[in-house]
Amino acid sequence: MYTITDKKVLSPIDYFVEVEASHVARAWKPGQFVVLMAHEKGERIPMSVYRADDGKIGMFIRKLGKTSLQIFNEFNVGDSLWSVAGPLGTPIEVKKYGTVVFASDAVCGHAENYATLRQMKEAGNHTISIQSFKDEEDVYPEQFLAKSVADEHYITTSDGSVGIKGNYLDVIRDLIEQDKVDIIFAGGVLGTLAKLAELTRPYGIPTMTTVRQIMVDGTGMCGSCRILYDGQIKFACRDGPMFDAHKVDWEDVLKRETRFLEQEKLAKEMYLKKINESHGKEVV
Amino acid sequence: MAKIIKERVETPERPVEERTKSFIEVNLGYTFEIAQKEAERCLQCPANYAPCIKGCPVHIDIPAFISKIKEGDIKEALRIIWKDNTLPAITGRVCPQEDQCEKVCVVGKVGTAVNIGKLERFVADYAREKGIDKELLEEELKKIESKNKKVAIVGSGPAGLTAAGELAKMGYKVTVFEALHEVGGVLIYGIPEFRLPKDILKSELDKLDKLGVEIKKDHIVGKTVTLEELSGEYDAVFIGTGAGTPRFLNIPGILLGSIYSANEFLTRVNLMKAYKFPEYDTPVNVGKKTIVIGAGNTAMDAARSALRLGSEVTVAYRRGFEDMTARIEEIHHAKEEGVRFEFFLNPVEFIGNENHKVKAVKFEKMKALDERDSRGKRKIVGTGEYVTLEADTVIIAIGLEPNKIISESSGFKVNPDGTLVVDEHLRTTMKGVLAGGDAIRGEATVILAMGDGKKAAAAIDEFLSSGEPWPDEIKQVSF
Repeated sequence: MYTITDKKVLSPIDYFVEVEASHVARAWKPGQFVVLMAHEKGERIPMSVYRADDGKIGMFIRKLGKTSLQIFNEFNVGDSLWSVAGPLGTPIEVKKYGTVVFASDAVCGHAENYATLRQMKEAGNHTISIQSFKDEEDVYPEQFLAKSVADEHYITTSDGSVGIKGNYLDVIRDLIEQDKVDIIFAGGVLGTLAKLAELTRPYGIPTMTTVRQIMVDGTGMCGSCRILYDGQIKFACRDGPMFDAHKVDWEDVLKRETRFLEQEKLAKEMYLKKINESHGKEVV
Repeated sequence: MAKIIKERVETPERPVEERTKSFIEVNLGYTFEIAQKEAERCLQCPANYAPCIKGCPVHIDIPAFISKIKEGDIKEALRIIWKDNTLPAITGRVCPQEDQCEKVCVVGKVGTAVNIGKLERFVADYAREKGIDKELLEEELKKIESKNKKVAIVGSGPAGLTAAGELAKMGYKVTVFEALHEVGGVLIYGIPEFRLPKDILKSELDKLDKLGVEIKKDHIVGKTVTLEELSGEYDAVFIGTGAGTPRFLNIPGILLGSIYSANEFLTRVNLMKAYKFPEYDTPVNVGKKTIVIGAGNTAMDAARSALRLGSEVTVAYRRGFEDMTARIEEIHHAKEEGVRFEFFLNPVEFIGNENHKVKAVKFEKMKALDERDSRGKRKIVGTGEYVTLEADTVIIAIGLEPNKIISESSGFKVNPDGTLVVDEHLRTTMKGVLAGGDAIRGEATVILAMGDGKKAAAAIDEFLSSGEPWPDEIKQVSF
């Protein structure tokens, strides 16, 4: 039984869920993810992990499609998820690099930001966290930011309402100019990650990014998440999901996100219609 | 001596127009009466000669169980089969009988071979319907003497399930670790409902439950728990993780959005029930024209599934018809249902549209030489001539290799093809750890995996009861 033990709103679009999953929590390491199913007829969804302590795992989820909306609307503390499998993927190497940056601009990235820097700090690194949001309303409550595990913490917003105006690329550009970065990790929107790869490439700064792809099993069985990496086919679920950004073929990665766009839209619309009818009000 | 009845009694099948629109089982199986009629055709070759027993990978006493069908004693027939094969409802449906028992059947020399596969299936199905299998299981349960030893099984496919059942019957405490949220391995994610109804699998799993086998789903051994941990906690471990990783063609366009591996396509359709989308949440995208690349059972399963989802389907194979590896029944059913076949076509490029979806496949035409390769297949060479076929969906079914999660996370000796090194007793290079099925064979059949499960169970029993030391050196056995 994967019982939900905590659930909190992070922003109008994101929420936090904590689930009992001791088999995963005991083995999980930064860079790894889980695959969950909300119910028996559900989809298998890969999910980044924010914390894994005391037999529980915490996750940040964005209300993007049917499953994420359904967990937000219908699953409360005390309810159980159908399946939580993991940890999956290859852990990143936690060691002393010097100055470690983690940059994120979306839900899964923010979870990885905290998770990675927490251990990088313990390993004796100087940790810099950059978290990008759209505007003031989207900024997470302080306890869910990576502030507590970062020696330097930056927030950016697109409209400048909180922190620095712009996104994490702007901060990284400055940090590079100050010559203070040994390695950059990043997760979130794929388009920004592709730009990050181009930004750091000329400087030869090691840049590791989470290449999030559509997955089914998450164990290397189906190849749905295949990417071209250094000219070879790699599976994001098994060989990643963190990859050296300079070796990823970003063009194909970005295009593969749209594989099931129509069906995803249909499922979401049908679900919203169903709950709007039953509640008599707009949910999202 | 009785006169040989040359023609076999065929099993009834669902009409084509009915089955192309649904996923219900195609072959309806024998009734009691026609099963007995077919059983009459068996010449009852003596056990020390019977070619069918030798042709069967697990050496079921075929003439003996058929003779019990003639007598109408299905319980005895099942007891005979169970001695060598605990999952006859499954093998009766998925074994390539025409290459095994039926290939060497004496009746087949003058007419068509006895329909051994369908008779095996009949025994299992009839026993299940009448509760005879439960009676037999109860009898076996009474005989079990509990041993104070624990065995871990990694993977719940045919190899793992067989090993689990055998060991539980010997009295061991068995725990099966499965990575997915459902049990069955290839039987649940790979083989479609129209060929192997999932209720049959469920009934087999109920038996394991009665035997006290514990199943831990959502556990990826190598990630959730390491093999070293299992080795420490359990007295022995059996690995039956299959050949779970699909091969892709490294040719231009392979990353296009509407190209699936057969594993992805079949997992979406079978395990996740995408054919019932949006009742089930997992989608699958099948266009108007699907090309399936490959010629094995997986290719046939993918082709017939795509057809049922409303697509026109063409199977393209780089060799000729005679080299197809699929069961003859599946090829026959695929043809009946309207799947088209193109031979001697080798894909060289997938051509995409502006939406990153495939719109056509470019093939080089191949030709066969008289020379044969090590597997007895005629060698093929390119002709330099090309042909382009339209398609909006492509399914690649060119084979699988073992998933590296296990071998990379532990210190096993591994063969160049990724299979684990095992000796003739299926022992790996790690003490107390045995392996079987596709994890050691690459790509084989359900029945060979089950045979390995049974053999490994006996070897584990021998290891745990004799206290014999694990060999220092494991010499790879050839299959």
